[in-house]
Amino acid sequence: MLRYAAQRILAGIPILLLVSLFIFSLVHLTPGDPALLLAGDNASPAQVDEIRARLNLDQPLWRQFALWFGDAIRLDLGNSIYSGKPVTELIGQRVEPTLVLSTVTLILTVLIAVPLGAVSAWRANTIVDRLAMGFAVIGFSVPVFAIAYVLVYLFAVRWGVFPVQGYKPLDEGMLATLHSVTLPSVSLALVFAALIARVTRASVLDALNENYIRTAHAKGLGAPRILFWHALKSVGVPVVTVIGIGFATLIGGVVVTESVFNIPGIGRLTVDAITRRDYPVIQGSILFFSAMLILINLVVDLSYAAIDPRVRG
Amino acid sequence: MRHLIRRVALAAALLAPAMPALAQETLRLRMNGDVNTLDPISTTNFTVRNAAYLMFDTLYAMDETYQPQPQMAEGTEISEDGLTYTITLRDGLMFHDGSPVTAADAVASLERWGSVDGLGQTLFSKMESIEATDDRTLVIQLAEPWGLVLDALGKISSNVPVIMPAEQAATPASEAVQEPIGSGPYRLVPEEWVPGSVVVFEKFEDYVPRDEPPSMAAGGKIAHFDRVEAIYIPDTATAINALIAGEIDWIEEVPADMLRYFDGVDTAEAVAARQSGNSMQLVVNHLNPPFDDPLVRQALQLAVSQDDFLLAAYGDGEDRYLKCAAVFFCNGPYATDVNTDRVLERDPEAAQALLDEAGYDGTPVMLMHVSDIPTHDAYYAVLKPMLEEAGFTVEVQPSDWATVATRRASKEPVADGGWNVFFTGWGFVDQSNPMTNVYVSGACDDAWFGWACSDELQQLREDFAVAETEEERMALAEEMQRLTHDLVSYVPLGQAFPSVGIATDLEGYIESPVPFFWNLQRVE
Repeated sequence: MLRYAAQRILAGIPILLLVSLFIFSLVHLTPGDPALLLAGDNASPAQVDEIRARLNLDQPLWRQFALWFGDAIRLDLGNSIYSGKPVTELIGQRVEPTLVLSTVTLILTVLIAVPLGAVSAWRANTIVDRLAMGFAVIGFSVPVFAIAYVLVYLFAVRWGVFPVQGYKPLDEGMLATLHSVTLPSVSLALVFAALIARVTRASVLDALNENYIRTAHAKGLGAPRILFWHALKSVGVPVVTVIGIGFATLIGGVVVTESVFNIPGIGRLTVDAITRRDYPVIQGSILFFSAMLILINLVVDLSYAAIDPRVRG
Repeated sequence: MRHLIRRVALAAALLAPAMPALAQETLRLRMNGDVNTLDPISTTNFTVRNAAYLMFDTLYAMDETYQPQPQMAEGTEISEDGLTYTITLRDGLMFHDGSPVTAADAVASLERWGSVDGLGQTLFSKMESIEATDDRTLVIQLAEPWGLVLDALGKISSNVPVIMPAEQAATPASEAVQEPIGSGPYRLVPEEWVPGSVVVFEKFEDYVPRDEPPSMAAGGKIAHFDRVEAIYIPDTATAINALIAGEIDWIEEVPADMLRYFDGVDTAEAVAARQSGNSMQLVVNHLNPPFDDPLVRQALQLAVSQDDFLLAAYGDGEDRYLKCAAVFFCNGPYATDVNTDRVLERDPEAAQALLDEAGYDGTPVMLMHVSDIPTHDAYYAVLKPMLEEAGFTVEVQPSDWATVATRRASKEPVADGGWNVFFTGWGFVDQSNPMTNVYVSGACDDAWFGWACSDELQQLREDFAVAETEEERMALAEEMQRLTHDLVSYVPLGQAFPSVGIATDLEGYIESPVPFFWNLQRVE
């Protein structure tokens, strides 16, 4: 098992190298000059040239990549062109809000989606199933920012029970943090719950037709025990896969939510960096996303073995 | 269901002790952009300028009549020949690190500013020397008389001649000082600064404000809050909701289509900044065809209509914009309507006639359609049909602002990454002053983007700097406007008065084209 994990981590290295080369080319081929943006409207060409030289932007592209990559393998991702701060520090500041938001969302999602999907399958083609899946379709179809604005209007502006925006870090207390991420997590969870509920329903429906479920019925077990103990247990693999994909998407894809709720997460860091052509931050944060993705995939794969004894082999 | 909602609400309210007890002692601001640096010499960015005013002080400062008044300076003695300025610093000025502000710090700071700022460069070109003769005295020796020395030292907009310790002022102007130290009413808290999210200031207890009442940038700067947070909230709707809910206190700009958010709200209001405003322009590149021909440029003036642009950007909020073709702003001291006919009245037939006269060969006008700034997006959408109706061939390239901001610096032909026209905006303080307005320099290769070239304009600016009476200056400004509209360094598209969003429990907000946050306090 350890050997397998180590192999997988090693296999991740060439992937990261390819990703960084790809991102580096893409970023540098995009029109837009950070030196000009940094200098402001009234800067003279000489000033802009000075800034360009200071940032090594006047060097040939291959040399810039070599310089950057040489530092990156020593975990030095350079300094932001825009703020002058180390990229690792900027990413460090942004990891907590994104991880908290993603984790809370994921927990909410699972709490909503798995029972909903299981009950839909159990009551397949009844009114319960249709209502549940109707909710799922709506959840998946409404854009997250629309849900977000409605929630903000009702729970923050009208009733004042949650803040409109902002994030309270964990060192101000767990309750404060949860209070600040409730609305964004709920808006995101509604979307992801829809997806996971549908997958759960389909898998449970398959499982319910298996012989061992019929055996359980024959033994006289109660419906809840059959559904949540026997049937759900066997659908772990597809559901965990979808949850893993969902988590990866959350970490990289919560930009809209982070913007609407003003949460200083890593998604926003990346988008802001792109509009400012802040090359080191774009490269650094995308490298970070790639590493996270590889890690999540690994955790998902390892959890198969934990869930399904057949995989352990 | 309602019962359930109420219970959820109650439960959440119980959780809420963690909510900020909207502290009287903290002022929360949402500026238009993010504060990436607090070194206002390294960039002309207005958000940086506005935040930097919290922590920096200046020798002189503009009052509400645009006259420079002593701020850090106690006063200035000017020699009879007008060549020697002896400036004395106020007693008790302190930097935030506890060291005293000396004349040597002021000299070093001014030298750094003078190496990059346009007006600063002019000031230094008139100087024979600048030196600190003791800790509180600096002497500026001019080579020739120049009437704008104190105006320059009190320059209110970018780059503002702020005073920092001499060691920091030794940093090249192209490089931002990472943790700048000022001597203003608030102090930066570097350890709480998260770029892209929040920058935090604390009241500087050792600041000694002047005794005079505040008047724009001049007068006493009294810090009433213990803490000021400039929070970067990217989404404007979120920022407005946060203002209404009392989470923040001030928003730099409320877009016209969001003014209705404030209807029936008593916690915050949107106030039109009538005193200042912004102007929008279509900048023209004189180097590339078809606009290398003066007749084609004048055809462009006739082809566009200000009303349509203003309507597209500001809707029917007519009290929030002004049709205006004055080069130095319609509400500024040098406002005039000289030579504005071609600019104010659209006439596509006359434009077509000028194009025929110029022998226009159908060279396409390339529009870099910026879609990530709503006002620009609307403007480009309006411009294209106007140009086509007047007989121009138009080519559109979708773009974002970052690309345009880069591309506009290129003097190459359009096919090699150059450009024809782009929209931009300038604020009152920069444009209302003939010494800093970028469109009247006529400086050819050294001019601002577009590179309009006119020896006469260059001479007029020289004359303006040494003019002795207001009448002389006004006459020179009128002549500058006449030439500028014939030369067409840009096409003016009117003036807008954006609204500031402000919490109703604040008072003492200073009317000014640059937002200041001293004197502001919360009332019960």
